[in-house]
Amino acid sequence: MADPNVHRSSTFAPVNIAVIKYWGKRDTALNLPTNSSLSVTLSQDDLRTHTTASCSPKFTKDELVLNDEDQDISGARTQACLRELRGLRKEVEAKDGSVPKLSGMALKIVSENNFPTAAGLASSAAGFAALVRAIADLYTLPSSPAELSRIARQGSGSACRSLFGGYVAWKMGTEKDGSDSAAYEVAPASHWPDMRALILVASAEKKDVSSTVGMQATVKTSELFNHRAEHIVPARMTAMEECIKDRDFATFADLTMKDSNNFHATCLDTSPPVFYMNDTSRAAVRVCEAINTRAGKAICAYTFDAGPNAVVYYIAENEGQVAGILKSILGGKMGWNSLQGRAVQAAEMPKGMEIAAEMLERGVSRIILTAVGDGPRRSEEHLV
Amino acid sequence: MANADVHHSSTFAPVNIAVIKYWGKRDTALNLPTNSSLSVTLSQDDLRTHTTASCSLKFAKDELVLNGEGQDISGARTQACLRELRGLRKEVEAKDSSVPKLSGMALKIISENNFPTAAGLASSAAGFAALVRAIADLYALPSPPAELSRIARQGSGSACRSLFGGYVAWKMGAEKDGSDSAAYEVAAASHWPDMRALILVASAEKKDVSSTAGMQATVKTSELFTHRAQHVVPARMTAMEECIKNRDFATFADLTMKDSNNFHATCLDTSPPIFNMNDTSHAARGEGDMRYTFDAGPNAVVYYLAETEAQVAGIFRNIVGDKTGWDNSRGRAIQAGEVPKGMEIAAEMLEKGVSRVILTAVGDGPRRTEEHLC
Repeated sequence: MADPNVHRSSTFAPVNIAVIKYWGKRDTALNLPTNSSLSVTLSQDDLRTHTTASCSPKFTKDELVLNDEDQDISGARTQACLRELRGLRKEVEAKDGSVPKLSGMALKIVSENNFPTAAGLASSAAGFAALVRAIADLYTLPSSPAELSRIARQGSGSACRSLFGGYVAWKMGTEKDGSDSAAYEVAPASHWPDMRALILVASAEKKDVSSTVGMQATVKTSELFNHRAEHIVPARMTAMEECIKDRDFATFADLTMKDSNNFHATCLDTSPPVFYMNDTSRAAVRVCEAINTRAGKAICAYTFDAGPNAVVYYIAENEGQVAGILKSILGGKMGWNSLQGRAVQAAEMPKGMEIAAEMLERGVSRIILTAVGDGPRRSEEHLV
Repeated sequence: MANADVHHSSTFAPVNIAVIKYWGKRDTALNLPTNSSLSVTLSQDDLRTHTTASCSLKFAKDELVLNGEGQDISGARTQACLRELRGLRKEVEAKDSSVPKLSGMALKIISENNFPTAAGLASSAAGFAALVRAIADLYALPSPPAELSRIARQGSGSACRSLFGGYVAWKMGAEKDGSDSAAYEVAAASHWPDMRALILVASAEKKDVSSTAGMQATVKTSELFTHRAQHVVPARMTAMEECIKNRDFATFADLTMKDSNNFHATCLDTSPPIFNMNDTSHAARGEGDMRYTFDAGPNAVVYYLAETEAQVAGIFRNIVGDKTGWDNSRGRAIQAGEVPKGMEIAAEMLEKGVSRVILTAVGDGPRRTEEHLC
């Protein structure tokens, strides 16, 4: 069935959830951020984009399909990625006249997510990382992950972090052309493998305000935002890299929760204000606080992206208290029926949490249990 | 019925809602703030504390009753007010030995609010202002409102602003002893009388975190807060005083909303975070001619000018017209207006989350009354 004139390469790429948040661009065309950010790459066993990049002389034009629906490939961001990648392939072809002239062929890119393309589940990060990785493999580019990260960044800022596994930082850079704005690995997943994440999906409805629009409104109108970008985040990036190297969960948790709140505070300080957290989100915060209070130390950390979904980080040894309590509240929701989910025992809620628990139960539609995971991996499973 | 040996004096005192917020103390004992603040005093026709201060040789000990319930009068703050006021009365008695020695008598203070003593309805401001004003009148003190403001401040910070009517600023001051931290009138109610306020009472439940505890947590843990206090608020105070003098509602509105959001942003940036607003609060976001502000509770206060009442209050009449609060002379004058497109979800949230409304306007400072509660 495989047509020798169709060249193809497939990859799986991960989602990542930031613990020091990216919010705000200093250059909107190149997706250059106002501050650095840091994320945990999540396991592709649970959340992944599967992408096949193919090209052929027989294809008439570039095409992009996501979850069986045709996508607009003409947008500036996707075009920026394709242009850069084709440019690098041309260099390969210039050095070796015997390789096929893939750079001149139309591309057909087919992608599938195994998670809902809903508000706040970081689908554009995985998507652009997969697209860039798959095409780079198709074109057998000698580029390093850092270079591909720089290209993916132009598709969607946070996508640059999904080119790596484990604990990943995106250095903001200072160059106007963005040549020094890319991600790098702080530590691989294997350095701190017992990091778990429980995602409380609040709803699948569309986001209130798109990230792109929201973040620029914040940059433009929030007086508190400048202080965040210039003073608060740099110190936290350093502290976060250190606590990851030391596997210090208490500090990791403290910084994570503070940065989530600090980011959302600048959203609230925007004119007009941007509200991403809702009553369900706030209930999740209170439940996490109650869990930590009872444990006498921070054993779980909440964080919210530009949407109401909570991501709760914890380490495996505390699964009983963290996931267990959340299971006692949300056990009726979809998502527990996996090997990992079935292993979680429902644990008794701390006292005083009843109202928050009820609010959480009402507002969460499903959960996703996952863990820290690796970077993109090649696959021989092709979608084209 | 009046016993010749019982001396009394009564006052009505108003509520005030800040448009540049007070949140954070540099001295917790003296209630000295980390930044200045500015408020609109609301009309006592709609919201007021009625307080009678009385004293007599027959009273055994100091007593405070609020809405029929005995209150703890031993707290440091109430004691600070009583101590200062008694001290000033002693000075009056020292200068004129013919006046009754009221300073030595026990006080009985009875207070009634005509509004629920609930989260965020600024009841402590009106309460302490009334207490201080009533005792000052009882003691026939020569103190100007600024001095009484300084005393009331020690009871409850924002109470210092309720000693004045109209548009009131509380200068934060720099002195350690708080002698320069008091309120002053920016403009009388009569300067800009068509300022209206519609209060959406989100719920009568108790506040999540007390203001006192919450504000100090913010001072201690929020990095954004320092920036607010040192850079954001001073500029806004100046701008706000100016737009009030100019009756510039557009600027007033812009600053009010920004400061409400900025204040709440620092609450969110606190460790652990303080959530004052809920989904109902977010649904009350202002558009067009109305401008909202929120204190440390989910109740929204929507400011607008009388000339836009039909559009602003009219919309709320449409959405929450079935709640308590419309059946008075203000409410009856308001027709339900059309809800703008795109507001349907917000309207539904408001309908579900608002328990009552209070329609009011800018008003005057405390006023003496001959109606006594004891």
